[in-house]
Amino acid sequence: MNASNAALEPARRLVRRGLTLSLLGLVGLAGVYVLALGFTPIEARQGLAQKIFYLHVPAAWSALLAFSLVGLASILYLWLRDPRLDRFAAASANAGVAFSAVMLTTGPIWAKPIWGTWWTWDARLTLTLFLFLLFVGYLALRAAVHDPSERARFSAVVGILGMLLVPFIHLSVYLFRTLHPQPIVLKPSAPSLPPEMLRTLLISFTVFTVLYLGFVMTRYGLMLAEELQEEARDAA
Amino acid sequence: MPEAIRFALAIAAKDIRAELRSKTALLSALVFAALVLVVFNFARDPTVLAASDLAPSVLWVTFALAAIVALNRAFNIERENAALDGLLLAPVSREALFVGKMLANLAFVGTVELVTLPLFTLFFNVNLGRALPGILGVTALATIGFVAVGTIFSAMAVRTRFAELMLPVLLLPFMVPPLIGAVQVTSRLLAARPLSEMWGWVRLLALYDIVFVTLCVLTFSAVVDE
Amino acid sequence: MLPEPPRNGEYLVAAYVVATLILVGYWMRLWQKARRVFAAD
Repeated sequence: MNASNAALEPARRLVRRGLTLSLLGLVGLAGVYVLALGFTPIEARQGLAQKIFYLHVPAAWSALLAFSLVGLASILYLWLRDPRLDRFAAASANAGVAFSAVMLTTGPIWAKPIWGTWWTWDARLTLTLFLFLLFVGYLALRAAVHDPSERARFSAVVGILGMLLVPFIHLSVYLFRTLHPQPIVLKPSAPSLPPEMLRTLLISFTVFTVLYLGFVMTRYGLMLAEELQEEARDAA
Repeated sequence: MPEAIRFALAIAAKDIRAELRSKTALLSALVFAALVLVVFNFARDPTVLAASDLAPSVLWVTFALAAIVALNRAFNIERENAALDGLLLAPVSREALFVGKMLANLAFVGTVELVTLPLFTLFFNVNLGRALPGILGVTALATIGFVAVGTIFSAMAVRTRFAELMLPVLLLPFMVPPLIGAVQVTSRLLAARPLSEMWGWVRLLALYDIVFVTLCVLTFSAVVDE
Repeated sequence: MLPEPPRNGEYLVAAYVVATLILVGYWMRLWQKARRVFAAD
C-alpha cells in the first residue's frame, strides 16, 4: 500500500514551492548574467575575468550560509531530537554541496588570470576546499547509515565538529601566511566598489539566497515524501 | 569523579590488553609506517631535495597514515567482539567510556609513533639530538588532537557499511590543522629555531586539543546511545 | 590614456558556463527526483 495522496500533500506542496522558487532563482541568475556582462563596468586592472566575482562571492555566501545552518541545526537536533531539524540539516548540506562546487570551480578559474596560478593556499580557496570536503563527508556518512535515528545522531555530531573545524582551518592558514610572507598578489575585490558593481553584487547575493532557499525547500520536501512513503511501505 | 577516572583507565587497560594479545593493529600500522618511509625515501631525488627539507612532512604524513590504520584496526577488533554493546547496557558514564577508548587509541598510535621515529632518523639521516624533547612534545600534542576525533569517528564508522573508507573520508579534514601545526613546529625544532618562532603553532595545537577533546567527550553519548 | 584591461574573456566564459551547468543541473536533478518520487503513487 502506498502512502495516500493526502498524507503526501504537505511534502508535495513543499517540493512544488521549492522548485518554483529555485526556478525563479535561476531566472534571476540569468538576469544577473545580463547585468554583470552588459551593464556593469569592466575593472581596469583585471579585465573581463573580474566579473566572475559576481558569481563566486555570492556562491561563497550561500555555501557558508548552508554550512552554518547545518551546524546550527545539528546542535539543535542533539538538544531537541526533532527529526525535522535533521531533515533540514541534510537538505542544507545537499544544497551546500552545489554552492561549494560552484565556488570550487569558479575560484581557480578566477585565480588563473588574476593571480597567474590555478590554486593558492590562501584563506578563501583553502576554506572552499574544506567546506566542500566536509559537505561530501557529511553526505557520505548519511548515505552509509541506514537506521534513521543513528543517521540523524551521527550527522549531527559531524555537523557540529565540522562547524568548529572551520575557524581552525582559518587560523592555520592565517598563521601560515603571516609567518611565510607570500608574494604580494592583486587583491581581486577592491576595498570600495563603484556603485554599479556594488548593485550587481547585491542583486546577485539576493538571487543566490533565493536559490538556496528554493533548493533547501525542495530537498526537504523530497526527503519528507520519501520518509512517508517508506513508512507506508513498512506498515503494509 | 575518581570513579569515572578509574573506569576510563579500566576501559583503556582492557583495550590495550586485548590488542597486546592479538597485536594485529599494532603490527599492521608499524609495517605500514615503515613502508611509507621507504617509499618516500626512494621517491625523492636527493640531489634536488635535501632530506632535511622534506623530513618533517614525511614524518607527519607517515604518522597520520599509520594513525588511521591503527584506529581502523582497533575498532574492527572491537566490532568483531561486540564488546561495546555489552558495556553500553550498563549505566556507565559515556564520557568516561570515551576517554578510556581514546587513551587506548593514544597508546596504540603513540607506540607506532615511538617505533617509527627511530626508523625515520635512520632512513633520513636526521639528527634529533637536542630537538628530541620538543619533538616528543609536539607529537603528543598533535596526536591527542587527531586521536580524539579519530576515536569518535571510528565509533561511527564501524557501524557503517564501508567502515574502512568512511573513517579516512571523515577524519582527514580534521587532521589538517594538527598536521600543519606539527610539521611547522617539527621543522623549526629540527632547524634549532628559537621557541618564539613556533609558539603560535604550539598554541594552535593546544587550543585544537582542548576544543576537540571536549567536544568529542560531550558528543560521544549521542553516537553510542539512542 | 589608460592601459587596456587584460584580455581574459575566455576565463569569464568558462566560469559562467560551469556555474550555470552546476546550478541548472542541480535544479534538473531535483525536478527529476520529484517526478520519480511523486509518480510512484
